[in-house]
Amino acid sequence: MSKSATPTAVRRWKRPEFVGLGALVGAGALLTAIGARWVTGPVALLALALVFASVVWLIFTAVIGGPDARRRIAPYGLLKPGALWLALFYLAPLVTLLRLSLSTLPSRFAVDADFDWNFGNYRRAFADFDAQFGRAFLYAGVATVLTILIGYPLAYVIAFRGGRYRTLMLGLVVVPFFTSYLIRTIAWRSLLADTGWVVQMLDFVKLSGLFEGVGIMDNGRILQTPAAVIGGLTYNFLPFMILPIYVSLEKVDPGLVDAAQDLYSTSAGAFRKIVVPLSLPGVFAGTLLTFIPAAGDFVNAFYLGSPSTTMIGNSIQDQFLVQNNVPLASAMSFVLMAIITILVLIYSRFFGTEDLA
Amino acid sequence: MNQRSIRPKGTNLSRRQFLMRSGALGAAGLTLPQLLAACGGSDGGGGGNTLFFENWPAYIDPTEDGATGTIDRFIEASGVDMTYTEAFNDNNEYFAKIQPILGRGDAIDPDLIAPTSWLAGRLIGLGWVDKLPLDQIENKKNLRDDLAKPAWDPTGEFSLPWQTGFAGIAYNIDVTGRELTSVDELFLPEFAGKVGALTEMRDTIGVILLSQGVDISKISSFDEAAPAFEKLEKAKNDGQIRRFHGNDYFDDLANGNFAATIGWSGDVAQIQLDNPAVRFLFPESGATSWADTMVMPKGAKNRDSAAKWMNFVYDPVQAAQLTAWVQYVSPVKGVREEVAKIDAELAENPLIFPDDATLANTRSFATLSDEVEAEFDAAFSKITGA
Repeated sequence: MSKSATPTAVRRWKRPEFVGLGALVGAGALLTAIGARWVTGPVALLALALVFASVVWLIFTAVIGGPDARRRIAPYGLLKPGALWLALFYLAPLVTLLRLSLSTLPSRFAVDADFDWNFGNYRRAFADFDAQFGRAFLYAGVATVLTILIGYPLAYVIAFRGGRYRTLMLGLVVVPFFTSYLIRTIAWRSLLADTGWVVQMLDFVKLSGLFEGVGIMDNGRILQTPAAVIGGLTYNFLPFMILPIYVSLEKVDPGLVDAAQDLYSTSAGAFRKIVVPLSLPGVFAGTLLTFIPAAGDFVNAFYLGSPSTTMIGNSIQDQFLVQNNVPLASAMSFVLMAIITILVLIYSRFFGTEDLA
Repeated sequence: MNQRSIRPKGTNLSRRQFLMRSGALGAAGLTLPQLLAACGGSDGGGGGNTLFFENWPAYIDPTEDGATGTIDRFIEASGVDMTYTEAFNDNNEYFAKIQPILGRGDAIDPDLIAPTSWLAGRLIGLGWVDKLPLDQIENKKNLRDDLAKPAWDPTGEFSLPWQTGFAGIAYNIDVTGRELTSVDELFLPEFAGKVGALTEMRDTIGVILLSQGVDISKISSFDEAAPAFEKLEKAKNDGQIRRFHGNDYFDDLANGNFAATIGWSGDVAQIQLDNPAVRFLFPESGATSWADTMVMPKGAKNRDSAAKWMNFVYDPVQAAQLTAWVQYVSPVKGVREEVAKIDAELAENPLIFPDDATLANTRSFATLSDEVEAEFDAAFSKITGA
């Protein structure tokens, strides 16, 4: 900053919030440019210095300005750490990925792709991987519904009937998370193995025929079937459904249910008209926390699935880390993001929580 | 698996150890390239008294149970400060890791890496490896004659094999209920959903092609290999193929998830120690042969130490220790005699010391041009479902 930025000069700012907004947007844009490598070398250093200067400027304006200026600048100052973080670690990678997804590799093992508006990557992402996209959303959707069916009653019991064991029960929900995600998934391979106790027990009680009938077992095995992949997803994401539902149920005043019953509502009616609507925000949050990561997951399909149950996450991993086709993998990632965004928008339109509060 | 206590000396790999190690490495591998990228540069000289070798898991005898492992014997004999890691799990994955670094002309940390022959060929073609200091490796004279000037390294100046082996049919006789005799049996309805195959395209496709009477050492276009791809794809669509796997098929085979799979001879030799029901079939139609090689990535700093190491492991006495533990086919002449001194029974194991007739019935996959290889990889990827 130049020395002319004297206290009098700063006081002349009639709208100090513009200083805040300007510093915020400017610094965010600069940091994105650095992260996406639009500017490199000395220019990048200069840009970084400007980002730093904008922070100094903001603080300076706040210190020099009166209480009123400080009050008006405060929101932008508080937004700044988060905004800069997002600019560098979300926005910059995102534009890099977008650019890559429209690039072409000059040769198979080339390191850098040439940016040439190659929409062919997107065409291939749809044409060659439609099955994997379909399975990803199907499996993630079924798993999400299953986590609601399993998680809701559990959260309900913990919230309303847990009594003094509430904390313990919640702890038990979270305890499996102390073990690595990978280890928990691989452990299912032993449990569900063809000679493992699950399959053997089903054989013993003669239920395997029924399980084959409903499509959970295939040719006498559970492992490497769609059911195993969906089961793995359900198991791994269940706590993400239980916890938000529990939080919203826990806030429901039991007095409301009593009041409903005083007004001659049945228990079921009170549950349906009082408890369920009040817990929907939890279900909504849980659905997002479950469905989004599940749709992009590749671990469960990798360890519990077969070549016919791969999900889009497996294909993206394969293109990035095995086939070296970074542009195509980027395009696939973008398509995945786009579809998830659309699905979430539709979902929140119908089940959104705005008018529930 | 109670037989663990009666295993021969020097073969104490437990499956659990193996899996834990691979898991830890998988996690480490995610961050390694970024770290490596930060450490470029080379000094061009013979380097200091250190050495960094990156190899496949369970591929060297460790120091345990009173036996001194090859690395410790080497450190003692040479005074070189050696680092050894097991970062390879899959050739394609490893290539994807080093490609951005070597492709920009920077050096990666290891002085020696162990790509399979076809990947070594690719690295040589791309010019991403340095010539080996062969004049300092006196024991190179012990290299098996058939490996002197291989297809992947026609001048023999860039690579020395670490171990070699075969891919054929690995099966669990408790599940199949009988000896298997041909590759076609993998496709029988009675084994539906209990058959595996390697993600290593050349081995899986190679074994099937050989069973269809195609000489894989002479393939130059995709059309010649198409029948094997068709057969594999049909099997996958019919649910015959349960899973494609890399190094991680020991458990599936031992606990009966797999009746049979396309697997590697040395693995079966190792699994048999735990589980005698696991067998290996050299198909009459032929097995694929491969070699994992030692190459120096471009800009490797410690040439002298690397030469000392290669000289050390090409000494038949040292190579025999390795062979007794890893159970693969050694590229070093005179190993059989040395192994016989350690363990006479092992020296008669046909998986480790195959006879000439068996050897004559193995083929290594032809070197494919970039475009043809891309076609193969894309077709194979489609079958593995990714």
